[in-house]
Amino acid sequence: MALKKWLDKLTLLDLFDGLSVTGRHLFKKKVTIEYPEQKKLPSDRFRGMFRLDEERCIKCTLCAIECPINIIYIDWHNEKNEAGKNEKVLDRFDVDLKRCMFCQLCEEACPTVPKSIWLTTKTYEMAAYDRNESLYLDIRKLTDWREAPNVKPFTVVERG
Amino acid sequence: MTLSPLFWTYVKVVLLVATVPAIVGFVIVLAERRIMGFMQARLGPNRVGPQGVLQGLADLVKLVTKEDITPAKAEKAVHFLAPVLAVIPALTALAVIPFGPPVRIGKNMIPLWVADINIGLLFLLAITSIGVYGIILGGWSSNNKYSLLGGLRSAAQLVSYEVPMGLALVSVLLMSRSLSLVEIVRRQEATHLWFFFPGMIAFFIYFVAGVAETNRNPFDLPEAESELVSGFNTEYSGVKFAFFFLGEYTAMIIISCVAVTVFFGGWLQPFPHVKALQFLGLVPGAVWFLLKVGGFIFAYIWFRSTFPRYRFDQLMALGWKWLIPISLANILVVAFAILLFPGRTTGLVWLSWAFSGVFVVMYLLAKLRQKLAKRDRLAAVPQTVES
Repeated sequence: MALKKWLDKLTLLDLFDGLSVTGRHLFKKKVTIEYPEQKKLPSDRFRGMFRLDEERCIKCTLCAIECPINIIYIDWHNEKNEAGKNEKVLDRFDVDLKRCMFCQLCEEACPTVPKSIWLTTKTYEMAAYDRNESLYLDIRKLTDWREAPNVKPFTVVERG
Repeated sequence: MTLSPLFWTYVKVVLLVATVPAIVGFVIVLAERRIMGFMQARLGPNRVGPQGVLQGLADLVKLVTKEDITPAKAEKAVHFLAPVLAVIPALTALAVIPFGPPVRIGKNMIPLWVADINIGLLFLLAITSIGVYGIILGGWSSNNKYSLLGGLRSAAQLVSYEVPMGLALVSVLLMSRSLSLVEIVRRQEATHLWFFFPGMIAFFIYFVAGVAETNRNPFDLPEAESELVSGFNTEYSGVKFAFFFLGEYTAMIIISCVAVTVFFGGWLQPFPHVKALQFLGLVPGAVWFLLKVGGFIFAYIWFRSTFPRYRFDQLMALGWKWLIPISLANILVVAFAILLFPGRTTGLVWLSWAFSGVFVVMYLLAKLRQKLAKRDRLAAVPQTVES
């Protein structure tokens, strides 16, 4: 037994094994994504920047109620439309993004099909130079995401 | 027109002092970072210039423009002196390295070494040991307990590993019968044999001790980022830190140069007396030398990205309990081989065959044992039950 141990020790077998591992890795293809030039496409369930479809939204404020930290601010008033019926009109739909934790509970709470507010936009480049301006989303910013390069169209997830 | 040898000496000194730091900064550091990156499954620095070739320039600008801090309670003069002590001996030691055979420029035969001292190897050992003073004094003068620990570790390490290194070189001296590095290369040419073959054990011990003396992984205990907050150079910044860095890497170059000169035939091409390999002689000797040195630097980098750091007691145990006894036994074997066989070369040839035979057999045995052990381990695992 002792002899075998000495044999291993003197021939440095384990050290050579280690060297061969690193030596092999030297020539392996690297999986690094070099960020500004190459970008990683997030998975379909990735939670990115908000988007809101104002026409689908029924102004029920369930998303604001569901939000655990109350960062969705919705104001609305009634207006008569052409048919003479009351219709809710948004005064304000703000999301204070700088405190958002992307829990997606607002999206789950939304009763419309498809959802009118959603996070699965595959957007992650949200760094900004000022917190209060860039990370406070009003209705204009929330609905103006169609031009953003990373935004993919919303896919409806069927739930049984 | 013949110019005086003194003039050429000046030229060579200036060239060495100018190029070696540049090579360290621009080639070795970049190569190290990129190769280590590849080995660790990442890309390494590739942003400054194409494939990162200008990284050295960026590092230089950063180091030079950094604030040069001296701690308030530091020993000012020594703190200033330490980085200088780390670099100057390393650069001085380059003087005796023969980079190639004499070259003809016009009517002048110019040897590619600054000085051929007849005690060259001794001079090298002596001068490179001074470099450790830089580390010890730097650690002590910083007035920081981690730095002091780093310096002390460095001292202990150097004392322990200077012994096997010297003993390993003694066995080569038995073969070469000269301390002059140029003479050692010439002897290898005359014996038709690189001293690596009869001196395999000596080479192994020399290189391990060399890695330990330059404070490189896996023996980088003096700086040990994870234990001592990079040890002796914690309190250094800017140009002074760059000097320590330069000293360490120049010491690396020197260890590699000596290994090449003493064991791998210096500027000689591989197997210079085999007819089939004569065409290798087309490449100039200096290029062979630099290629071999590059190989050693690569080995340094390879070791760094492979082996974890030794514990301090393991380091001491390796030095005193393994390397010193083995190197002493090696001297004995080499001396007997030279005494027993007539002539200067027969003994060395026999020694080469004996060493390589023993090592190959041992390696195969160990490999076989490993295979068998693995098979037994796999057999012991209960097979999955078929449903």
